[in-house]
Amino acid sequence: MPGLAELNHFPAALLLGVIVLPVLFVPALLLFGNRLGRYTGLLALLAPLASTVWLTCLLREHWSSGTVGTAAIEWVPFLGINLALVLDGISIFYGYVILGVGFLVCGYATFYFSRDEKNMGPFFAYLMFFMTAMLGAVFADNLFSLFIFWELTGVASFLLIGFSYEKRTSQLGARRALLITFSTGLCLLAGFILLGQQAGTFVLSRIAAQGGTVLEGSGWLAPVMLTLIMLGAFGKSAQFPFQFWLPGAMAAPTPVSAYLHSATMVKLGVFLSARMFPIFRDLDLWLPLVAGVGFATMLLGAFLAFRSHDLKEILAYSTVSQLGFLIGFYGLGGSEGVRFDLLHIASHVFYKGSLFMVAGIVDHAAGTRDLRFLGGLGRRLPLTAVAALLGAASLASIPLTTGFISKELALAGLGDLWAEKGALALFFYAAVLLSAVMTVAFALRLFVGAFTGKEPADNPFHPPGFWVQLPPLALAGAALGFGVFPGVLGEWLDHFKVPGLQDSASGEVALWHGINRELLLSAAAIALGILLHGWARKREWHWNRVLSLQRLDRVFDRSVDTLGYVAKRITLALRADWPPAYLPIVIFTLLAFVLSAFVVHRAEFGEFVNTERLFDPWRSLVAVMVCIGLFGVLTLRRWTAQLVALSVSGFFLTFYFVLYKAPDLAMTQILVESASVVLVLVLIARFSTGSRAGTRFEFRWNAKQVTRALLSLGMGGMATLLVVFAELNRHPDPMGYHMLALSQPLAEGTNAVNTILVDFRAFDTMGEITVLLIATLAGMGLMVHYKREKGTDRSAFAAPGFLLGKRPERKGKSE
Amino acid sequence: MAYDTALLVGVMFTVATYLILQKNFIRILFGFIIFTNAGNLFLLSISGAPRHRRMPILEEGRPVSDYVDPLPQALVLTAIVIGLGLTVYLIMLLYRVILDSKTIDTEKLFQPEEGDE
Repeated sequence: MPGLAELNHFPAALLLGVIVLPVLFVPALLLFGNRLGRYTGLLALLAPLASTVWLTCLLREHWSSGTVGTAAIEWVPFLGINLALVLDGISIFYGYVILGVGFLVCGYATFYFSRDEKNMGPFFAYLMFFMTAMLGAVFADNLFSLFIFWELTGVASFLLIGFSYEKRTSQLGARRALLITFSTGLCLLAGFILLGQQAGTFVLSRIAAQGGTVLEGSGWLAPVMLTLIMLGAFGKSAQFPFQFWLPGAMAAPTPVSAYLHSATMVKLGVFLSARMFPIFRDLDLWLPLVAGVGFATMLLGAFLAFRSHDLKEILAYSTVSQLGFLIGFYGLGGSEGVRFDLLHIASHVFYKGSLFMVAGIVDHAAGTRDLRFLGGLGRRLPLTAVAALLGAASLASIPLTTGFISKELALAGLGDLWAEKGALALFFYAAVLLSAVMTVAFALRLFVGAFTGKEPADNPFHPPGFWVQLPPLALAGAALGFGVFPGVLGEWLDHFKVPGLQDSASGEVALWHGINRELLLSAAAIALGILLHGWARKREWHWNRVLSLQRLDRVFDRSVDTLGYVAKRITLALRADWPPAYLPIVIFTLLAFVLSAFVVHRAEFGEFVNTERLFDPWRSLVAVMVCIGLFGVLTLRRWTAQLVALSVSGFFLTFYFVLYKAPDLAMTQILVESASVVLVLVLIARFSTGSRAGTRFEFRWNAKQVTRALLSLGMGGMATLLVVFAELNRHPDPMGYHMLALSQPLAEGTNAVNTILVDFRAFDTMGEITVLLIATLAGMGLMVHYKREKGTDRSAFAAPGFLLGKRPERKGKSE
Repeated sequence: MAYDTALLVGVMFTVATYLILQKNFIRILFGFIIFTNAGNLFLLSISGAPRHRRMPILEEGRPVSDYVDPLPQALVLTAIVIGLGLTVYLIMLLYRVILDSKTIDTEKLFQPEEGDE
């Protein structure tokens, strides 16, 4: 194997510290959130800063370039689920991206929100929660911990998209994002389990070290695994056909869009593709699936971005497009590994982050993000305009930016592929070029549309602060700086090479490669893009119809709503809200199941005749008394009389327990019986006009009544047969006798029932207490809620008197 | 074979089910209480007829086979208390229903409203 790396170890707690540090800030953020307002962000800013310092110190001590460090904290070891962490090039690279952009975004968000913005504590708390989840996902070395952190990022994304939860767009956007990423996340989990079963371990670094040999002998399961895992990646990274959730996620505040939905979270799919690359790259399905979907999405995203008008929507589709490229890029990787993947990612982070931040500033300054109603902001916002210019230039791959370097290298890599794969490469080549042309067109539009030309007359203008413009400038500056000196970036990224993933032979990254095919193609793309922009501008970016592809989100929303509607219709049709309708069905089904089981086992009842029949006169007498009580409940007219009959049967049952040699039961039963009688009395007093109220039970020979009677007789017969059946199948050595024998030596008690309750089966008792607690809370809820609704006058508590067993007031009743 | 128990359990379940299938709340409540008791008795019957065995409170020098099986008793004890919890909750629920809708008839209460979706 070319990529078998030596694994070295480092203290797990150190890296864990880096991961959990942001979330440790949450209490402080929530505590001071209200007082500090938007300046909570300055407190939150310390978290990524501290984490970065910590991570750097950790790396100095325990990591050197090209090695893979692992550490594990045991969690559920017998299932192979551990909190395993890995330190290798790609995780460290992503770690720095998360922390670096996180730092800038915290700073940006601080000055992005207005001074009187509410809920700043929770906002930054969610952000820190996300940061921890994201760091956990990239540093995870166990498939399960990766999955858990992966889903936690989805939760954070849901909370942040829905931050302005009173807005309908936020609700829908958050719901879409959650449903898409979670349902595809389940596919991911299934794929992970299959992969772990096949590999015999859930430790990612160990699976990756074996490379493709892991899949030997898995047959048709390998493509299934890959498809499931990539579905997860496609969902998270908004690849076709899931591309529609990302524009919807733009309902989040812009700092969130810049951070989660362009720089970090949506890159998890790219990250996962990189992680899966060493394992699946030799599979036949790898190239068509990963590269096919990736490049198709690239083209689609660029096209949709070209057709959109909203700044953030354009950027969202452009992100979809770029993510398609980044994922597809891994799909093309050959057996020697991929090259410059990190450079593409870094380049995207620089310009897309800055453009998103610019979009946020423009939105606040001009009050709209629609390019059709924007213009001339360049004079008013010179700093922002510079950031936008650099970002758009990098997006359009104009020379002297990182975008240019990235595009050159991508085209060169595709050129090599052409030699290798021939016609297949043509599709990828065409996809890259076509989307490059469209990207140039809408990148140009972003800048020209917003910052040049005439200012619309009726636009209100609020000047943004100075500080809010710094973070986009910093990112745009990086895009320019590293574009002029790409060697520096290339060298730095070389440190993060992972054996087995990246090509070990390092290529030089330079600004000028001479006049070659790539340069000419780039120039052609830029020229065509400018022409396309000119054409579209002439028709004022007016399109005759909205593409159905752009409306997939509505289709999705409608199907989700329909699901709920259909479920409700079915529920209503089954009358699940009306016990008299469904109870007979439930009872009938139960009878059918149990009685058919009796029919199957009827031979065993034959032994019944052989068993000794015991007649106990006392017990029989008490049983008759219980039955008399029950008869009274059925036949007496008044409620109070029925209640007395009920308690007669209850108290005689207590005697029955005594005869069964169960003193504890008898004691409990008598207490319970008294308590319920008192409570039922209170209830009856509430609605009846006097002690004489009640209705006589009348049996009529109609279908309904006869059905009820038959079902009841069936239940009774079934219960009798069950008792007989249980008696016949008695276990020769019941568990209880062991507990009885151990009661004194182990539990130090002579009453075996008590020792069982508090010692041997103490958890049952705990469950019982929990049930009581829940019943109490639910009952209180019923009453307290009523009090709030109807006011104190007719309060259900009739004051707390109800709970104390006092007679409730009759005020409300007399009406 | 303690057939008196088997029959009693049968009768109790019959009456309880019959009451629960009625449309009057109070009958349903009574049925529920009887149902709980019947279930408890059913569980207890698993410990077998006591015959001449003793209650499960240990005394010096007796073999364990002299006592009844204590495990079903412990289970029933738990069940009784849980049953009480449910009964009390049901009572409070009915109390609230009576306050809100002034009826004790399920048919009146669950009348499906037109246009309800």
